[in-house]
Amino acid sequence: MSDSDVMSENIIQLENVDKFFGDFQALKNINLSVKKGERIVVCGPSGSGKSTMIRCINRLEEHNAGKIVVNGHELTSDVKDIDAVRSEVGMVFQSFNLFPHLSIVKNLMLAPQLVRKVSKAEARDVAMKYLERVKIPEQADKYPSQLSGGQQQRVAIARALCMNPKVMLFDEPTSALDPEMISEVLDVMTDLAKEGMTMIVVTHEMGFARSVADSVVFMDEGEIVEMNPPQEFFENPKSERTKLFLSQILTH
Amino acid sequence: MEAITGWWDDFFWGSLVVVELFFVALFLTILFGLIGAGSKLSGNKTAKAIANGYTIIFRGTPEILVLLLFYFGSAITMTAIAQIFDPTIKFVDIPPFWAGSLAIALIIGSYATETFRGAFLGVDPGQIEASRALGVSNLQTFIYVRIPAMWRLALPPFGNHMLSLIKDTALVAIIGLEETLFVAEQAIGTTGKPFTMYILVGAIYLGFSTIITLSVMRLEKYANKHLEVTR
Amino acid sequence: MSFDIALIIDSIPKMLMGIGLTFQLLFLSLALGTALGVMLLILRISGRWYLSWPTMIYIYIFRGTPILVQIFIIYYGLPQLEFVRDGIFWPILREPFGCAIVALTLNTGAYLSEIFRGGVLGVDRGLKEAGSALGLSVTDRFIYITAPIAIRLCLPAYSNDVVSLMKSTALASTITLLDMMGIARTIVAETYAPYEVFISVMVIYLIITWAIQRTFGWIEKRMSRHVRQ
Ligand SMILES: Nc1ncnc2c1ncn2[C@@H]1O[C@H](COP(=O)(O)OP(=O)(O)OP(=O)(O)O)[C@@H](O)[C@H]1O
Ligand SMILES: [Mg+2]
Repeated sequence: MSDSDVMSENIIQLENVDKFFGDFQALKNINLSVKKGERIVVCGPSGSGKSTMIRCINRLEEHNAGKIVVNGHELTSDVKDIDAVRSEVGMVFQSFNLFPHLSIVKNLMLAPQLVRKVSKAEARDVAMKYLERVKIPEQADKYPSQLSGGQQQRVAIARALCMNPKVMLFDEPTSALDPEMISEVLDVMTDLAKEGMTMIVVTHEMGFARSVADSVVFMDEGEIVEMNPPQEFFENPKSERTKLFLSQILTH
Repeated sequence: MEAITGWWDDFFWGSLVVVELFFVALFLTILFGLIGAGSKLSGNKTAKAIANGYTIIFRGTPEILVLLLFYFGSAITMTAIAQIFDPTIKFVDIPPFWAGSLAIALIIGSYATETFRGAFLGVDPGQIEASRALGVSNLQTFIYVRIPAMWRLALPPFGNHMLSLIKDTALVAIIGLEETLFVAEQAIGTTGKPFTMYILVGAIYLGFSTIITLSVMRLEKYANKHLEVTR
Repeated sequence: MSFDIALIIDSIPKMLMGIGLTFQLLFLSLALGTALGVMLLILRISGRWYLSWPTMIYIYIFRGTPILVQIFIIYYGLPQLEFVRDGIFWPILREPFGCAIVALTLNTGAYLSEIFRGGVLGVDRGLKEAGSALGLSVTDRFIYITAPIAIRLCLPAYSNDVVSLMKSTALASTITLLDMMGIARTIVAETYAPYEVFISVMVIYLIITWAIQRTFGWIEKRMSRHVRQ
């Protein structure tokens, strides 16, 4: 296989990426490649750089060294490339971040109308389609503050899907939720994985990792310590740090 | 510029009047603010109603109106009283300085009332309970726990009240107090240079505002010292 | 000393003749001041020092000096300068009404831009990030996300500023304008009955304040139903 074939197969590619906040190095020499349709789960202790890494992928944070290529666009300060990448990469946040002044359906319609320039009617059709996919079409005309956390997070997923993204990034999508709402969100994510969406998911839901992930990435202190298929990762962790982390998280 | 030369000392004395006015009114403002907040927080219905009326009236009326009402109103009242004792008296007024400081203090005091009230209610009740639970007396809790917590909350808005206060002192020129704006009017009368003189007044006030802003910043830093992150 | 009811009944209609001027001063300088405030805000948060610094200095000067002094500088002071008298704005600055509008606008614009900035800074960073993540441009993010939320957040402060502005319109009476305050002062000068006249006009001002607060309270309730601070 030639070099360019490898690149085209990898929808996301991080090479030797460093990220600093002032003097503090949040990412140290990160290398990660994600193929089309691959599902990656990222875990690791608090402050290990998980959020920073996935936020670099759609340039909510700017990396300081190394190279990030997303769907053929290298991330530089070129604004056009960034907007192109962002509209192809969906992101779901821990705190939902729904626009509080817009109704649910308007939350979903905003970006397609502004970025994709689709008509209002079409945007509404697409929005309703995805609201049905996440099983809450009846909430369309309510406002975010009137929905439960689990419902809000499903709306956030639907909102990202309306842009028809090639990749979905999830940053701890269930950790702000009450326990009884976690599964409704994970179910939606599992469905998405089954349909072949490329996903990078930061989560500590190890059950989800086992059943859905192609690989599990363990990060600590800004580094990728270990990356393996879930079977291998859970049964046969290589590094001491991974073992310690797993022993802490699996006893919960 | 040379137009100002002969007027430096007048502007200096005028500025001094502003400073005096500021401090007298500041003292009264705090007094009115505390009384107002105390009344609003008290269980006494009459006191509450009076305090509510006070804040509604003084926050909703133009400052210049309060000042003129105060000055001319008190003059008329005083004259009437004086005439009871000596019918030959034609006119008595209270000095503009006092009419001015009272009027300004009543206006700013109405804002301070809300600030103090908010600060009192903003103190975390857990702190008070913790102190009481440790066996600290009510009075001691008030002095050592509530007051320090309160003034930390009140300081930023009160800083803004002080800025409003210093700026309102300019109004007192209207009733003839010889502060900077009044001096400027006299200077204009002889030099015919209104732009120069009023700009100078503006610059003097900007200086006062800067001093107040910097002082409040220092105080805030001092008040929040314990909250600074040590690395 | 007595309280002259007849005088009150007589002077209230006279003072109400000035309410039109009071409202003109209020609404015109509020509209212009709001536009100026938005402009100053955009310059202030532009991220370019040569735009934001002059804006900060402007705001600092106009918030740090008494509005009365600003009115005097513009009305009495500017005509001292020849280029002002020869300039294109002379038709406005020659009239006390024009001067009052200019002064109130410049002053309230400075205060409003700070209020707007408070609103913009109050918008949750996560919401702007969500907008970025969806591929919205900087401008679209500002127009469709930041601005609508910021407006709701700064409504209470805006309403207070409208009341302040309304109170400041009374200072127009110091440059010969016959707004409500100006008329009240004229009547007092003629009758020497400060209590009757000033208290009556005070009641009118209080009603206007009340109306402003009620209106904004209503708008706030309607607009901010779903947006919490
Ligand atoms: N904007 C920022 N400025 C300064 N430091 C930051 C910033 N964002 C993150 N950091 C630091 O970078 C490190 C990595 O943060 P990051 O949010 O990526 O961790 P995380 O693995 O997502 O942790 P968590 O599980 O708590 O979400 C942390 O030490 C954090 O304090
Ligand atoms: Mg994180």
